[in-house]
Amino acid sequence: MKSPLWSNLFKNWNSQESEKVIALKQVPVFDGLSNKELVEIEKLTHERTYQSGEHIFKNKAPSEGMFIIISGSVEIYLDNAGSKNVLAKLTNPDFFGEIALLDTEPRSAGAITTSPSTLLGFFRPDLLSLMERNPALSSKILTNLGAVLAERLRKTNELLPKSDN
Amino acid sequence: MDKQKNYIQLIYRLMVGLLSIGFLYVIWPYISSVLLMLVFAFLFTTVLLSSVDSLERKIRNRGISVLAVTIGLIAAISIFIGSFATNLADQAGDFSQRLETESFMDDFNSFIDKTKAKLPDFTKGGNEDVDAASKLNEVVGDLMSTLLSFAGALGSFVFNMIMVIIFTIILLLNYHQFKKSLVSFIPNKYFEVGLRLIYNIEQQVSNYLRGQLLAATSVAIMSIIGLYILNFFGANLTLVIFIGIIAGLANLIPLVGPFIGMLIAFAVALMNNLGNEAAQAHMLFNAIPSPFYILDVALMFIIVQQVDNNFITPLLVGESVGLHPIMVMIALLIGGTLIGPMGMLFAVPAAGIIKVIGHEISFVTKNAHLL
Repeated sequence: MKSPLWSNLFKNWNSQESEKVIALKQVPVFDGLSNKELVEIEKLTHERTYQSGEHIFKNKAPSEGMFIIISGSVEIYLDNAGSKNVLAKLTNPDFFGEIALLDTEPRSAGAITTSPSTLLGFFRPDLLSLMERNPALSSKILTNLGAVLAERLRKTNELLPKSDN
Repeated sequence: MDKQKNYIQLIYRLMVGLLSIGFLYVIWPYISSVLLMLVFAFLFTTVLLSSVDSLERKIRNRGISVLAVTIGLIAAISIFIGSFATNLADQAGDFSQRLETESFMDDFNSFIDKTKAKLPDFTKGGNEDVDAASKLNEVVGDLMSTLLSFAGALGSFVFNMIMVIIFTIILLLNYHQFKKSLVSFIPNKYFEVGLRLIYNIEQQVSNYLRGQLLAATSVAIMSIIGLYILNFFGANLTLVIFIGIIAGLANLIPLVGPFIGMLIAFAVALMNNLGNEAAQAHMLFNAIPSPFYILDVALMFIIVQQVDNNFITPLLVGESVGLHPIMVMIALLIGGTLIGPMGMLFAVPAAGIIKVIGHEISFVTKNAHLL
């Protein structure tokens, strides 16, 4: 029989990576982070469950942070004079809303679940508190975030001439 | 049918609400002290959180950071209370010795006679025969009995303090996890707004408390310097550092606090200078009679208050709470009436929290269609 003392002492040695850490590893915003750092980020994230058809946020709603899909599916949409214009259909390991980590502007699109979903939220107040406690880790995240946004801008720039034609 | 269902639901909710209020009313006397301890622990946590966080940033271990900050705080409080008690006991012993000697009573009586002689005629009433020294004896007797009851209260204070420190350590260790579990109860719809509200309240309280503590420190330092300057001119004040620190701490209570340090300085000036002819005949700026340097002490504290109110507090505390002076007074009165001096201490940050909540509620109401 295993002694509880030994199993407690070495509980972290053979621990399995949690589902959340695995999800975080797949998000470019957390690229290059060690397992220990990912566990620290995991402590700051909030796991939320949504029913199918539930709004995660509406367009122009106050924004506080990004969401990572652990399970289920999400639609990003814009309301165009009553008709719903779907911009993207997302599933695990996609993420959305990351701009809200950097500014306090309202959401630029709405997000709604299309099946029962579990999401991991990472919010600006937690990032700000991480910046106080662990500037090295938070600067890695901010650099990654910058890279994600730069990549998106590059793609938009590439698409612009095509849309002109 | 639906209408009837709604009525039943309403009555049910009303009954549950009333029962909850009744239950809270019954158990309040048993839980109020624990709640007050938790409030103190929360306030200590808010003040110490940034120190723990920045220490954690350097040594990369939260447990050791919490331990180091808590031990530092306990050491500072113990050194202050210990040396204050020793000095106060010495001072009280010295004063009671002087009180017992006949010459001291004579000095006191002669001082009263001289003062009366200096007063204009119309102020002299019929009670010429009142023995001032016996009156002083009475006052000192009262003071001693008060000190004894104070010693009794000290025991429970020490116990409460230990509990507050334990709660503070637990909160500091698990602050971020506690917050996370608390926010997990917020419904999805209000989650982001709820996070924002909690973050704003945290910022408000922590800015206010840190600003207040910095202002209190500056008042303490200025008072100590001021009292030393008065001593340089012969005021013969003792317990200077303690008076300064108490003046600084009392400064945390708006409006009323500043007078507390001044009163203690008055008492020390009176106790130390009785029998000293030069101190009794002292004139402020060689023009205004200021026996026992009373007016000098008052002027010094007024200057410290003015410097604090006009330069230091606006700089350190600024608009962090941003309450109208009338609201501050109303909050102080309500706090003072409800819980006494402790209520006065918490009144302004509590009013600040209510203001932030009100602001967020109005924000949510305006943006309700977006949630």
